[in-house]
Amino acid sequence: MLTKIAGGDIIDPVNGRLGKGDLWIKDDKIVPAPAGGAADRTIEASGCIVMAGAIDIHSHIGGGNVNTARLLLPEQHAAHQLRPAMTPLSNAGWSTFQTGCLYAKMGFTTVVEPAMSPGAALHTHLELADIPIIDKATLAILGNDDFLLSMIRDDAPSTMIEDYVAWTVASTRALGVKVINAGAAAAFKENVRTFSLDDVVPSYGVSSRKIVKTLQAAVDSLGLPHPLHVHCNNLGSPGSADTAAATIAAADGLPLHLAHLQFYGYGTEGKRGFSSAAARLAELVNATPEVTIDIGQVMFGQTVTVSSDVMRQFSARGSAHPKKTVIHDGDGNGGGIVPYSYGKDFYGTMQWAIGLELFLLIDDPWRVFFTTDHPNGAPFTAYPALFELLMSREARAEMTAGLSRSALALSTLAAIDREYTFEEIAIMTRAAPAKLLGLTDRGHLGAGATADIAVYRRDRSIAKMLGRAAYVFKDGDLVVQDGEIIHYRWGKALRLKPPVDKAMVRRLEDYHQQRYGLSLDWFNFPDSAIAREQPFGEVPCRT
Amino acid sequence: MAVAWIGNREALIERAAAHAASLLSSSRCPVFSFDTDIDGTRAAIALAERAGAAYDHADGAALARETALFTDKGAMTVAPGETRRRADVVVIVGELPRIHHGLVGELAGTVPDLSTVNQRAFFVVGPNGMSVPPLNGGREATRLSCGQASLAATLAALRAQYKGRRTSQPVSNFNDFAKALAAARFPVFLFSGHAAEGLALEMLQGLIADLNRNSRASGLHLPANENGWGSTLASAWMTGFPLRTGFARGFPEFDPWRCDVARMIAAGEADLHLRISAATAQPKEKKRRMALIALTKTQEPVAGAAVTIAIGEAGLDHDAVVYSSRTGSLRSTEAQAASQLPSAATIIRLIATHAFAEPLPC
Repeated sequence: MLTKIAGGDIIDPVNGRLGKGDLWIKDDKIVPAPAGGAADRTIEASGCIVMAGAIDIHSHIGGGNVNTARLLLPEQHAAHQLRPAMTPLSNAGWSTFQTGCLYAKMGFTTVVEPAMSPGAALHTHLELADIPIIDKATLAILGNDDFLLSMIRDDAPSTMIEDYVAWTVASTRALGVKVINAGAAAAFKENVRTFSLDDVVPSYGVSSRKIVKTLQAAVDSLGLPHPLHVHCNNLGSPGSADTAAATIAAADGLPLHLAHLQFYGYGTEGKRGFSSAAARLAELVNATPEVTIDIGQVMFGQTVTVSSDVMRQFSARGSAHPKKTVIHDGDGNGGGIVPYSYGKDFYGTMQWAIGLELFLLIDDPWRVFFTTDHPNGAPFTAYPALFELLMSREARAEMTAGLSRSALALSTLAAIDREYTFEEIAIMTRAAPAKLLGLTDRGHLGAGATADIAVYRRDRSIAKMLGRAAYVFKDGDLVVQDGEIIHYRWGKALRLKPPVDKAMVRRLEDYHQQRYGLSLDWFNFPDSAIAREQPFGEVPCRT
Repeated sequence: MAVAWIGNREALIERAAAHAASLLSSSRCPVFSFDTDIDGTRAAIALAERAGAAYDHADGAALARETALFTDKGAMTVAPGETRRRADVVVIVGELPRIHHGLVGELAGTVPDLSTVNQRAFFVVGPNGMSVPPLNGGREATRLSCGQASLAATLAALRAQYKGRRTSQPVSNFNDFAKALAAARFPVFLFSGHAAEGLALEMLQGLIADLNRNSRASGLHLPANENGWGSTLASAWMTGFPLRTGFARGFPEFDPWRCDVARMIAAGEADLHLRISAATAQPKEKKRRMALIALTKTQEPVAGAAVTIAIGEAGLDHDAVVYSSRTGSLRSTEAQAASQLPSAATIIRLIATHAFAEPLPC
């Protein structure tokens, strides 16, 4: 089927295409304009902007901890309203089905769940398989697991560590590797309560820095497209900017991605000992080209924090709202679920401002990524409002009117005039994520690209415009029209398939038998277990 | 071999499914109860949404207590693998389901390799006479009890004594317990909703929270029913809610009392019961004005059922994904004795194709 999207304002920074024009789709791919070809279907897009489908690199949309959060907070679903009846189970509360529909309506077509416990890979992929319309991917968590820590302690050769990382990525069907407060979850099991970059995990004698550097090197050496995805130590603590700065410095020329930097943008100035260090961190990021970051923007209101940083979540139990939490010591990281309400008080205002400062002070939209660390900073449904704040200083000024003045006084936000352009938005939410994840088939509108396309009708309200796409195509299927789902389909989970060393498999089989009394088969699964046609799409490693 | 019946008459599966679909379509208040694998659960919940049904586990009371711990209070928990590798004190809290006795025996037969304390001590909390899983090597767990006091009362006394408070009745062997805790690096409490009331589960979590003020401890959740906990997880991701959710108003509503399927049947609220369980026994009491559709592993029609369709057992007759309390997560299992019997999910989807124009989403 040949489709023509006619007369839209095309924004495709990758291919240098900016301006009014037509876009052609044949089946599931974008194609050049056919010579004299007549379209089977024409989508009138005058008055609209046309971009590639958006990609979210860090959103907790599925897996054990997310699901535990659902169990913990059934009362939060009362806030959800009835959804359109034509979309199966999308009228459910905080469900997989709703997740896919809500993302698609905003023009997002690929979303990465950034924290998959390897032992819960099957569970995670089953959840992702029930997220309709969009493509998904996951990052496998390493860095608190006994097998890796033991190898680092024992000075195992780097090739052996790479074999283990490759096996983990391949067997869990992951698109990359994440390390979360490296070593802290293991230390917490030994009753350590705080853990910094140069602290050492008891029983292993291995520092957090050593774990990060080991994994960073393995990821790079294996040619995994996405750099090591790092959740730093000391998240949320006053002074955590020092930890983030030290971690940025530790990149040391190799690619490194720092997740939700806003949660580390905290200095210790002011009478409360809590201030914005965003300008300092932005300057460091600007000066360190091998580092990319996503923000983890805070927006006001009720949410739930879901993290495999079990030490941090344990320490945050006292701030739970409502007063109930789950803290789980897992085989590697485990996790913590702490519901939280961001108020417009000093601390909430400070966090909100720091995120925006980082967005606006980091110069290169190719290296800063649009996230709220859903649901930790805010649910992803806050994205339209966040776009508005980034693209309109007037919107920011309006918002600050009701916020804590003492917090804003410790922030540079009021002095920043920058407004993101649509081209920068297209880079930050399309082109750059595709590049960061190694997804060459998306994030742009060039011939041969997957036909993931979002069309937005221009509106004075940016939030309205970007929150409710006029048309969304996924793999060439028209799935959204006028902000509503019109076609239900199933996406894939994108995965890497690095070669697996047989000796490592034997070693892991022995390890699991000896240490857990279980065969490795207990943790493996065939693709057929997902019970969907083609549940996975393979992404090549760098050669 | 016959695999489907309408009433007591053998029927083609297609016809039986069509009849089940017509009953479902005309039902005013359908209820589903199931004891099945993840695929069966996904199909059942998707059908429940279409039919406006409430759903629950086939033996939902104990699971409801476990669910309430998470929905109402929260918990500190630990993975079974970490328990094996790290627990130097194991405390069995109340009576555990028999399916978990093997794990307890295994814990008794091993020592924690990730602990500097290279041995495990065992305690059991509960009234005298309560059955205890056998420990390997003839070992015995030290009993912590307040005579015939309830589990919740015993745990309350244990918690009070640990905090140095006076109790009306002391816990037996408390000094041994206190000494073990003082030396322990990572005590783990094994708990289940099988025989523990909600207050006992909550009191246990209070004790674990107290211990974590200065040292580490956690609880290993051993579900009353593994399939049931798997279904709880699948229900949570599909609807946002655990079991005992209903779609009567077109959207999911979690209400552990109102959507208690056993209660709905007993109260005469339900006019159709779709029961999906390969292994468990069928209800003995036939309710007037309530049609029963039974999907079960059987060679004969279920007494009183309007429709019976034979299904295979997950993991035995067909490959399956099930919850495993040995790993604390979902696990893929191959059929141990593959047969031609259809899975629960296959039959549920077949019924749906007869009842609704659109196929189920899963």
